[in-house]
Amino acid sequence: MQKVEGEKKGHDVKIYALSTCMWCKKTKKLLDDNSVEYEFEDVDLLQGSEREDALSEIEKLNPKKTFPTIAVDGKGIIGFKEDELKEALGL
Amino acid sequence: MSITADDIWREFKAEADATGYGFTDQKEELAWLLEGLAANVERYGYPLCPCRMGAGDIAADRDIICPCDYRDPDLNEFGQCY
Repeated sequence: MQKVEGEKKGHDVKIYALSTCMWCKKTKKLLDDNSVEYEFEDVDLLQGSEREDALSEIEKLNPKKTFPTIAVDGKGIIGFKEDELKEALGL
Repeated sequence: MSITADDIWREFKAEADATGYGFTDQKEELAWLLEGLAANVERYGYPLCPCRMGAGDIAADRDIICPCDYRDPDLNEFGQCY
C-alpha cells in the first residue's frame, strides 16, 4: 500500500481504489483536503498475487468488490459516501 | 493513435444526447470520468467502466462496458451511476 502523510493520524484508513475511478479520486481528495493520513492501493495497477491478495482483502469488507472500498479502523465503507466518511473520521 | 478524453467526450456526448441521458455538470468529476474511460480504452480496447474491475476479456466484461447494465438501476436509485 502507498502511504499519504497527513496531520490527522488518529484513524487507520485504507482505501482500495482503481486508478481510473472518479469516485476513488473524490475519496482521496476528501482525505487530502482534510489532511487525513491514509494508505491506498490502486488495485488495477497490481498484477498477479498482489492483485489477488488485495481483492481478497476487499471481499472481506465488501463481497461485491466494488470501488472504492474504504476501511476505517477495520470497518468497511463502500463507495464515496462523504457524510459517512466524515463521521467515521471525526471531520 | 492514442484515445484521448476529448475523443471519449465526443463519442459519448453524442450517444447521451441521442438517447436522453446526460453527464455531470461538475467539471473535475467529468474530466476524471473521461480520463478513466480513455485509459480503459487504451488498456483493454473497450470502454470498461472506470469504477469496476474488469477481467480484461470483452465477453466476460460485456455487462460493465460503458454505458453498462447497471447504469439505469444506479440512476433510478442514486440519480447518477457508480
